[in-house]
Amino acid sequence: MDKVLSNKKAIAIFILPPLILYSLLVALPVVWSFYYSFYSGTPGLKWEFVGISNYLKLFIDSNFKAALWVNVRYIAIVMLGQVGLGLALALMFEFWLKRFKSLVRTLVFFPVVLPTVAVGHLFAKIYEIQPNYGLLNSLLSAIGLESWVQPWIGQASTALYCLIAMDIWVAMGFYAIIFYGALLDIPGDIIEAAKIDGCSGRQLFFHILAPLLKPVTLTCLVFSFTGTVKMFESALALTGGGPGNATKSLSMYMYNVAFGYNNMGYGSVIAIFVFVLCFTGARIIRSFDESY
Amino acid sequence: MKTVKSVLIKITILILCLIEAYPIFWMLTASFKQQHEWVSKPAYALNSSFHFQNYIDAWTRGHMSTYFFNSLVATLGALFFIVYFSVTVGFVLTKMRWKMRKKVAIFFDMGIMVPIATALIPLFQIYNRANLLNSRVGLILVYIAFGLSLSFFLVSSYMRSLPREILEAAVIDGCDIYRLMWHIVMPLMKNAVMTILVLQFFFKWNDLLFSMTFISSSNLKTVQTGLLYFETEFGAKNWGAIFASVSMSVMPLLFIYILLNRRVIEGLTSGAVKG
Amino acid sequence: MKRKLLAVILIVCLSLAVFSGCGKDEGNQNSQANGDGGTMNTSDFTGEDPQLEKHIKILSIWAEDNDNGILINNILQRYKDQVNPNFSYEYELVSADDLKTKIATLASSNDLPDFFAYESGTPLKEMVEADKVLNIGAELERVGAMDMMNPSAVSLLKSLAETNELYDLPLGLNVEGFWYNKDLFEQAGVEPPTTWDEFETVLAKLHEAGIQPLSCGAGDKWGATRLVNAYTVRLLGNNAMTAAANGDAKYTDQGYVEGAAKIQEWADKGYFGQGVTTVDMNTAGTMLCTDQAAIFYNGSWFTSNLNDPTYNQTGEDGIGFFNIPVVDPSVSDSNAYSMNCGNILAMDKEKYDDGTAWFLKYFVEEIGNEAMSTQGSVKGYVYTVEEGEMSNYTQLVLDRLKDAESAFAWYEAKMNAEVSTVAQENVQTLINGDMTPMEYMESIQEAYDLSR
Repeated sequence: MDKVLSNKKAIAIFILPPLILYSLLVALPVVWSFYYSFYSGTPGLKWEFVGISNYLKLFIDSNFKAALWVNVRYIAIVMLGQVGLGLALALMFEFWLKRFKSLVRTLVFFPVVLPTVAVGHLFAKIYEIQPNYGLLNSLLSAIGLESWVQPWIGQASTALYCLIAMDIWVAMGFYAIIFYGALLDIPGDIIEAAKIDGCSGRQLFFHILAPLLKPVTLTCLVFSFTGTVKMFESALALTGGGPGNATKSLSMYMYNVAFGYNNMGYGSVIAIFVFVLCFTGARIIRSFDESY
Repeated sequence: MKTVKSVLIKITILILCLIEAYPIFWMLTASFKQQHEWVSKPAYALNSSFHFQNYIDAWTRGHMSTYFFNSLVATLGALFFIVYFSVTVGFVLTKMRWKMRKKVAIFFDMGIMVPIATALIPLFQIYNRANLLNSRVGLILVYIAFGLSLSFFLVSSYMRSLPREILEAAVIDGCDIYRLMWHIVMPLMKNAVMTILVLQFFFKWNDLLFSMTFISSSNLKTVQTGLLYFETEFGAKNWGAIFASVSMSVMPLLFIYILLNRRVIEGLTSGAVKG
Repeated sequence: MKRKLLAVILIVCLSLAVFSGCGKDEGNQNSQANGDGGTMNTSDFTGEDPQLEKHIKILSIWAEDNDNGILINNILQRYKDQVNPNFSYEYELVSADDLKTKIATLASSNDLPDFFAYESGTPLKEMVEADKVLNIGAELERVGAMDMMNPSAVSLLKSLAETNELYDLPLGLNVEGFWYNKDLFEQAGVEPPTTWDEFETVLAKLHEAGIQPLSCGAGDKWGATRLVNAYTVRLLGNNAMTAAANGDAKYTDQGYVEGAAKIQEWADKGYFGQGVTTVDMNTAGTMLCTDQAAIFYNGSWFTSNLNDPTYNQTGEDGIGFFNIPVVDPSVSDSNAYSMNCGNILAMDKEKYDDGTAWFLKYFVEEIGNEAMSTQGSVKGYVYTVEEGEMSNYTQLVLDRLKDAESAFAWYEAKMNAEVSTVAQENVQTLINGDMTPMEYMESIQEAYDLSR
C-alpha cells in the first residue's frame, strides 16, 4: 500500500503540469508584481527604478486613500451582510420553513448564478431616475413616497450603499445554503434536548448552535473576505466607479493606474498592497479558529 | 398567539421570495418590452406584448451568439482540466506519501488569497511576450491556473474522508497507482467533481477581469465583456435589447442550476465546506 | 527530492526563457521584413499604383458598420478591389476605453499597427516624443497628397500636439455648441441667445415654464466638463486651458473657478433635472430629441443622430444650434468655436514603406468624397463631390464651419492622463454639490503638480 502511495514517478506526472501552470501564472506574477513595484512607468516606455519612493507615494496619494476607504466600508458591510443574512436565512429554513422548502431554497440561490455584469445592468435600471424612474423609484412614487425618490447611484451618499445592497442580494443565498448544510449536520437530538430543557430561542442560538457553527462561519468569512477585497466587476458594471470616485475600489484604481495612466510600476504597488491586505485579513480570520 | 407568529413567518418568507425573485422576473418581462413602453409607462408595468425582436436583435446585431460560443469554449475547456487536475493533485496532496507534500499543499492553498488584480499586470506582460494575448488558449490557461486553488481546497475535505480500506483492498487486488486513480478514486469523487464543476462554471462564466484585459478583438469576446460594451454599440436607448441580452446570458446558468440544483446544494452542504 | 525541486525550477526557467524568446523573435522578424528593406526608394508618386504586395493592420475603435468604420472599410475594400489586388488588410476593433492600453502595450513591444485610431493632443504628443509615429505631413508632401488636407484641420491638429509637423490624420472636423429644441423654445417663448446674460434668462424662463432646460451627459463625465470649458473660455479666452497646462496660469485662478462654479450653480437651480450624473451622452441626446429637455451641448457629429428619424423625433427641422454665448467679445467672440478633429489616425513609423505610402495616398484622396457622399459629413479633407441635396442639419454644420474664425479645444485637451481623470471624475462630485468649485480646481491643480 505504502509503495503504491509513494510512487514517485506517478506523483511527478500528476503534480508537475498543474504545478508548473500554477507557478507560472499565479505564483510568479505575485513575485513579479513585487519586483515591478520598485519601478515606475511602463516597461518599454519610460521605465525607471524608483525604489521605496513608490511605496511612500501611497501615503500621500489621496486617490489611494479614498479607494482604500471605499474598499474597507464595502468589505465590512458586505461581509456582515452576506454571511449574517446567510446565517439568518439558514436558521429560517431550518426552523420556520415548513412547506415549499425546495422551492424557496432554489429561489434564494437564484441570484448567485447570475453573471455580475448582467446584475449590474439590471440594478442600474432598477435605480434609475432620469429620464424615467427606474423600478425602485417608480414603486416608491406609486405608493406615495415621492419624497424618497432620488438618484440612488447618481449621488455619492447613496451610491456605495446601493452597490453593497446589490452584492448582498446576490450572494446571501450562497451562504444561506452553506450554513443550512452545516445546520443539517447538527444532530437533531441536541436541539430537541435543549428545547425540552426549556431553552429559549436566543439561548439555543448562542449557547448551542453558535459554537457548533463556528468552523463553517469562519470559512464563510474567509470566502466572503477574499471575494470582497477584489471588489471590481460589480462596481464597474453598476456605476463605473462613480459618481466621482464614490464606488471606486482599490482594484479599480490599480487598473486605472496601470492601464489608463500606463504606470505599471505604481499600479503594482497598489496590487501588492491588495495582496497583503487579503493575506493579512484571511490570516486574522483563520486565527480565530486555533485560538478559540 | 401561535397563529399570529406563523402568519408573520409566512409573510416574512413571502417578502424574502419577492426580494429574491422579483428583479429577475422584472428583467425577463422587461426584455419583451418595446422601445416606447420604457418611456411612456412606469418601470414596473408589465410588457404589453412579447416583442421577440429584442432577442433577435441581441443575438444577431448584438453578437450574443459569438459571445456565447466564446464563453462556452473557454469555460468548458478550462473546466475539463480543472476537474482532472483537482482530483489527481488532490489525491497526490492528501493521500500519497512524499517529502514535499505539505509544502506544496500550502503553496497551492495560498492561491486562494491571490487577488486577480495583483497578478494582472505581470500576467499581461507574460502573455504579451508569449503572444498569448487575444487568444482562446491564453484565456483557458489562466482560468485553469486560477481555478486550481479553490478546487483543491474543496476536494481535500472529500479526499480526507476517503475510506482507506477501499484503497487498501484495491492495492491488494493488484492495482497500481494509475488504476487506483482512474477506477477507484475518480468514481468516489463524483460529488466533489459535481460541486467543482458547477462552482467553477459559475466563476468562469462570470469572469470579467481576465477577459477584459486579455481579449480585445470582438469576435473572441465572452458574454460578460460583450455585455459590458453592449450599451455603447446599441445605444442606451435600446433597453429592450439590452435586457434581452442580459436574460440570454443568464439562461444557461439558470438552466444548469435548475437541472442540477439539488446536486449543487447537496454537494455544498454535504462536506465541501466544513472548515 | 532535491532533484525534483531542481527539475521544477529548471522547467520554470526554461519556460520563462521560451516565453520571452517567443515574443522577441517575432518582433525582430517583423522589423526585418518591413523596416529597412529596400522598399523605400520610390520618389515618384505621380504615376499608376505599382500594386506592391502589402499587408496592413488597422486598429480602430469603430465597428465596421458604424461611423468612421464604414468609411475606412469602404476605402480599404475599394483599394483592394479596384487599385491594388496585392493588397490585404486586417481590421481590428477595440473599445475606446481599452485603446490607450492596447496601443501602449503594442508600442512597448514595437508592434504598433500600420494605422491606428488615437487621441490627438497630449496622448499623440507623447507618441511623437517617443518617436513611434510617422511624420505624416512629410509623407503627404512626398506622395503629393498634401493639398487634399483641409488647412484648418491641419493647423488644429498641429496646435493640439504642439508640433510643427503633422503627425496624424483627422477623422472629423467638428464644431461644438448648444443644440436646442425649437418647439420647447417656442413653448417658453424664448429665442436662442447670443450673450451669456441672455442665456441665463433663457434658462430661467425654460425652468419656470416647467421644461428641463439642459440635458447633460454627466454620466460620461466629459459631457459636463465641456460645459465648464464653455464658460471658462468665454471668460478667459481661447488659450485658457493651454495657459494652465503650460504653467502660465494656475487652474485655481479666478476665471477657472468661475467656470466650475457655473455648472454647480446650474445644478443647484435644478436646470439639469434629477440625478444627471447617471445620464450618459446618448440618453441626454435622446432627451433633447424627444421633447424632454430643451438644450444639449454636443459636437457636430451629433448630426448623424439628428438625421436618423428613429432617434430624432422632432423631424428635419426640429433642432437648432447656437454657439456658446459670449461674455466679453474682446476676450472671446462669437466666431470662436470649440473645434476638434475627433479621434485621429496615427501611423506606425517603423513599418512604413512604399506599399503603405501608396495606400496612404489613395486614402487621403478618397476619404473626403467618401465621407461627404456616404454620410454627408466633413472629415477634414478636401472633397470634390457636390454638396448636393443634404439634410438641414448637415447644412447647418457646414455653415458653422465656414463661419468659424478661431478655435479652442476641449477641457482636457492639454491635460495628461492623471489630470484628465481627476478633472472628469470630480466633475460629478462638483455637480452633486459635494465639492466646492475651488476644491474642484484645487484637485486638478494638485494632480497637475504631482504629475510633473
